[in-house]
Amino acid sequence: MLRHAIWPALVLALTACSGETPTPETPTGDQAAADEPKDRGFGNEPTVDELGGAQDTLVIAYQSDADNLTSVVYQAAADGMIIDNINYSSVNPEFDCELTYGPELFDSWEWNEDQTEVTVNLRKGVNWSDGTEVTSADIDFTYDLIADPVVASPRMAYVENMVEGTPEVIDSHTLVFKFKHAYDRTTMEAHISFTPMPHHLLKDADRATLRGHEFGTNPIITGPWKVADWKRNERIVLEPNEAFTGADKDKARIQRVIIKVLPEYATRLVELENGQVDLAQAIQVEDADRLAAEHPEIKLYRRGWRSQDYVAWNQLDFEDYKAKKELHVGEEDWKWEDVDRHPIFGDTATRVALSKAIDVDKLMNDLLTSKVTGEVYAKRSVSTITPALCNVHNNDIEPIAFDPTAAKADLAAAGWTDTDGDGVLDKDGEKLAFTMMTNSGNPRRAKGAIIMQAQLKDIGVEMEIEAIEANTFFERLRKKDYEAALSGWSAGLFVDMTDIWHSGDKYEFNFTSYYNPDVDALIEQAISEPDPAKNAELWKQAQAKIYEDQPYTFLYWMDEIVGVHERFKDAKVDVLSAFRDLRSWWVPAEEVKYKR
Amino acid sequence: MFAYTLRKVLLAIPLVLGVITLIFVLVELSPGDATDRFFTPETPPEVRQLIEAKWGLDKPAHERYVITMKNLLTGDFGRSIFQERPVFEIVMEALPNTIQLALMSIIIMQLVGVTLGSIQAVRQYGWADSGISIASLFFYSMPSFWLALMLQLILTLKYPILPSSGMVDAVMYDYMTPGEQILDRMKHLILPGVALSIARAAGIARYMRSSLLEVIRQDYIRTARAKGLPEWKVIVKHGMRNALLPIITILGLQLPFLFSGSVLVETIFAWPGMGRLIVSAIFTQDTPVIIGCFFVFTLLVVAGNLIADLLYSVVDPRIRYS
Repeated sequence: MLRHAIWPALVLALTACSGETPTPETPTGDQAAADEPKDRGFGNEPTVDELGGAQDTLVIAYQSDADNLTSVVYQAAADGMIIDNINYSSVNPEFDCELTYGPELFDSWEWNEDQTEVTVNLRKGVNWSDGTEVTSADIDFTYDLIADPVVASPRMAYVENMVEGTPEVIDSHTLVFKFKHAYDRTTMEAHISFTPMPHHLLKDADRATLRGHEFGTNPIITGPWKVADWKRNERIVLEPNEAFTGADKDKARIQRVIIKVLPEYATRLVELENGQVDLAQAIQVEDADRLAAEHPEIKLYRRGWRSQDYVAWNQLDFEDYKAKKELHVGEEDWKWEDVDRHPIFGDTATRVALSKAIDVDKLMNDLLTSKVTGEVYAKRSVSTITPALCNVHNNDIEPIAFDPTAAKADLAAAGWTDTDGDGVLDKDGEKLAFTMMTNSGNPRRAKGAIIMQAQLKDIGVEMEIEAIEANTFFERLRKKDYEAALSGWSAGLFVDMTDIWHSGDKYEFNFTSYYNPDVDALIEQAISEPDPAKNAELWKQAQAKIYEDQPYTFLYWMDEIVGVHERFKDAKVDVLSAFRDLRSWWVPAEEVKYKR
Repeated sequence: MFAYTLRKVLLAIPLVLGVITLIFVLVELSPGDATDRFFTPETPPEVRQLIEAKWGLDKPAHERYVITMKNLLTGDFGRSIFQERPVFEIVMEALPNTIQLALMSIIIMQLVGVTLGSIQAVRQYGWADSGISIASLFFYSMPSFWLALMLQLILTLKYPILPSSGMVDAVMYDYMTPGEQILDRMKHLILPGVALSIARAAGIARYMRSSLLEVIRQDYIRTARAKGLPEWKVIVKHGMRNALLPIITILGLQLPFLFSGSVLVETIFAWPGMGRLIVSAIFTQDTPVIIGCFFVFTLLVVAGNLIADLLYSVVDPRIRYS
């Protein structure tokens, strides 16, 4: 589940603001008291009755409006974070090196011996907000919707490996999911635990226009929060669901949550500082420094390694690829054997040499390191699997060290030398010159590209930079219409490398046309290996092989910084969500800002 | 007058259609389409085909153009691909907000522009004239988004006296009395209104200055002074009334600038109007919304110009349209 990370947003640098001299305030007695941690730890939060009712308002800044809260069709991660909070999840995800699931709406579930069947028992007495009980019919209906091509659910892959007619309803609170074959158990559990849709309400809804159904903006829910108001492009108001039938400990402790749509980063930052907003995501490193110095009331969280930047080297000659593609229409498994290689990037040794010439540590230092505290918000990347998945990420891969001398020697061995003395290497009359494209509107990548350009120039490589509009950029990557590209991925927490690294023209996210039969075999083995240890081993081998081939120059993983007002205790900001389990967030009585 | 109006309206039709055709071609030339954002590496190809077919994106461009035009002419704006709601509904939610902001901007623009221009004319070559000239030039050459950011930093963060975004206070509005709600709305209008209008106000001040200077050299002003009228009465009653005529014409011409300026200002101040709608529609390549927005904008600009033309003949009886 990797998403392409491009940031098309209008980015306006807040230069004047960062020019101010920090004036840290001396904490007063009250503030000093407030500085003491009051978090009780997850699971030990005071109940809503102990707090004397739900208190205060949490204002969350969103870059753009949510668009659909219908679980089977929503697209944006931002929508997903709301859906997860307004619904009782089927299972309760936890993340510590790997995803694990605990009971929630699913009371228990039991696998058969060969892990191809799972029997699920639903918790009794959990109601939709209209008072109807959640039963097996709702789960069955949800999977029927996902599998129906008319609905065009983006989650059709969830049912790909399920036997047709799954799930089988045993009784009102028991179901059986049957799979064609076993695979990674966590992924299988993710596939069965999709947020349910109310059968009684939507059974007659037109499936072709389900995205436009009123349910998407005014959903019936099962969780502790309900959507109380939604003004498009302005705000969404969540209030405690008074018809909530879940456990007392899961009842909302905050009176209102307001999701405020603020498209401009500078505005989100200003409002976090002036107190109009309590939670802002994706704070830039230089702003985090200033927040830390000037705003002790804003607590900064790091979400974990969620996205990375890399340089993709296109191994094929685009013109020849385009011509040959027409001869192979409909051949999904075409592996580009007859296409001319790119004169520079078609050769593995050359790609490795280029990686040696790029100083990733300098990039991390210049772009993602605090100039005040020296804290580094980046980590070297060696694969497309996030280091957060510490059991599957290959920690043994030694990142290629910056060594321009070795790079130059390797290039000379590959035939690239400066024969005409113009400072640029050449081979057979062709210069070692190319264009690297990146998306405009991303200042980090713009600066990164310039740093790399200078580093490559030092070893005699001429690189042009082309910044293009995000939609065009993405389209050209998919069509392989580029030479080199500075791009990024945001990481999914289920491991599946197929879409990016398996060969075959149908995998259009394999931007570099990477083809290694060994890697293909490892991926195929891994996706059908249910044993977690063996599975992890296979993925690690695949990562190591890919790293040897350097189809990308892997740069760094980045940590997203989220700012939250410190009066919110037991705030869960983690790799899964910027505001997870809002129901457990709470505010001590003496710190409540918005009183009833 | 009626014939003139009719002729203007009829002439506007090819203009509007031309604008829409141009927008259609521009959207068409940009790669990808609105459905791209629905796809992740996991999206099965059949889902992709279904979604594309549903929105008619599998049809060739000329066919889609004919369908779009036919729908527009019959008053059907289509449905937004991104929101799956009728475009008309979406535009009608945003339009009143933009008009509110535009009205506020026009008021600030006229008030500030006319006042400053008049002061400059009356005190020609004095320090006030020079001072205002320099200030006008400063604001006139300032991009509206930069001014917006600076206003936001100074008046909402450093000296927090005004709200930094939105049309109302997102948290407290629901708990306010009707009187407080109106006040809250007015407060929220100030910063975006100023950001949008101040550069134009500087322009108007220039016009007003030269227009009033011309008027106060006329014989009837000399006559008014000779009658022994107080100077303020000469300027306000006899001078300004006549000097305002060209300003009214400019008013109609300001609309396109107000609308184009609103794209950035609405984004910075999170104002849920047409400018922001266009920006998000362009980013998501939601063609029906883009076309719907530009259709309405073009109509408004044409209507604004027509009203300015007609107003001119109302305030200046010497002008007659035939």
